[in-house]
Amino acid sequence: MAYRHFEAIEKHAGLLGVGIAIMVSLGGLAEITPLFVEAHALKAPPNVHPYDPLRLAGRDVYVREGCYLCHSQMIRALRFETERYGHYSTAEESVYDRPFQWGSKRTGPDLARVGGKYSDDWQRMHLMNPRSVVPQSNMPGYPWLATASIDGADIQARMRVLRRLGDPYSDADIAAAPGAVKGKTEMDALIAYLQGLGIKNEPTVADGVPANDGGAP
Amino acid sequence: MSAGWSLWVMFLVVLNLGIAFFLYLWGPRAKIPTRPDGTSGHVWAHGVLREGVRRLPTWWLVLSGGMFGVALIYLVLYPGFGSHKGSLGWTSHGELARDQASNAARLEPLMQRFMLYTPEQLAGDPAARQLGQRLFEDNCAACHQRSGKGNQRLGAPNLTDDDWLYGGTGKDIATSIRNGRAGVMPPWASLGEQNVKNLAQYVLSLSGSPHDAKMAAAAEPIFKTTCAACHGPGGKGNQALGAPNLTDHIWLHGGSLADIETTIHDGRQGHMPNWDRRLDEGQIHVLAAYVYHLAHPDVGAND
Repeated sequence: MAYRHFEAIEKHAGLLGVGIAIMVSLGGLAEITPLFVEAHALKAPPNVHPYDPLRLAGRDVYVREGCYLCHSQMIRALRFETERYGHYSTAEESVYDRPFQWGSKRTGPDLARVGGKYSDDWQRMHLMNPRSVVPQSNMPGYPWLATASIDGADIQARMRVLRRLGDPYSDADIAAAPGAVKGKTEMDALIAYLQGLGIKNEPTVADGVPANDGGAP
Repeated sequence: MSAGWSLWVMFLVVLNLGIAFFLYLWGPRAKIPTRPDGTSGHVWAHGVLREGVRRLPTWWLVLSGGMFGVALIYLVLYPGFGSHKGSLGWTSHGELARDQASNAARLEPLMQRFMLYTPEQLAGDPAARQLGQRLFEDNCAACHQRSGKGNQRLGAPNLTDDDWLYGGTGKDIATSIRNGRAGVMPPWASLGEQNVKNLAQYVLSLSGSPHDAKMAAAAEPIFKTTCAACHGPGGKGNQALGAPNLTDHIWLHGGSLADIETTIHDGRQGHMPNWDRRLDEGQIHVLAAYVYHLAHPDVGAND
């Protein structure tokens, strides 16, 4: 390579841009592509099940209201996080989350294992008006959820789409969905979702090794 | 990681480092045509700005060369080059396990000392109280408030008044934390609206609060047959059931006439979650001591 090649790159912005794009993408190609492809091979552990209809409705309310903008659901493998929130999150726990709710934006606390930490009544009061239980809170209230009903047929449609994507819902599961959400509000659904977080899929420890230690690097 | 992806990552690492290293070697040696005035002939702003041709500074060459050395050492020691695990065998989970073990080792003598005492005795220990306060603020304050004064709208009891629904010994408090509590007051709307109103007056009379004596007297027989099952004939409550004492001026769900009528009419549900899944025995022990201290601030006040 002689100087004239270097000069050609320097003098042509388009060529320089292509060269930069190639160099910058190398890191992403090495880090993202293997995980992206291998993630599809991830199998759900025996204790992780697809969402039941009410929790599925709650999860969609969670996503719709943008809870993820302030709350992550990813406990990192750091002592000050596991001390406060519990076992670090594993990829297998999120196989039925579409999209997953990991994230690193924490205006509020991490919610990956918040299930059962507070009572249903606390969750209800807190969602109606967070200041009624936590005076210092800057979280907005979501009072309209208490009057919004859930459409059973809509939940069935969502379950059918998820089944097409590979979630193991049976015909009986889908047929039972309208009954499971009948008379429930979006508030009930969101509370059911929150109260199940971490509880229904926490990795178990066997022989001192977590159910998933992150796998081989 | 499969062998194919491992090779893919190795290829990209070698390519990236290789391109950078080639430029590092070639750059200082490149023959740059130079004008008599020592510039390259590249000009900007109609010749006002001209590009000089100079040697790369030695400090820059040394630092850049050093970075390649650091990169290579890193790839040998740590995971990064395909499926090579690194000669140090480092993993983020291994580091977490080491952090947890070293923290546990640091805490162990302290926790062993704490376990020698009952929560009542431990309430006088400033170190235990400090640890307990952290645990309280992180886990309990959402319902009981940071001050421990509780939340009447939620039915979270005040922990600072030494009036206990389920007993106030250190052991009782630890049990409440470990296993949680579920308090249920059934709804009594079935007694009829007038009887509910009369009963509310009777409940007020138990604590000597201002009340309508006539209505209270009318409700007394109902209280003795219905409410007394849990609250006792004198309304003193029952700690085995978590039935509150109605003869004091401490109210779990509010002590106004309207609050009491609502309580009788609709019933109340209290739910303290169990903490045995989130806290270990030592933490529950220290927390019980802190809660005991909230109600007995004079214990260990002279420490």
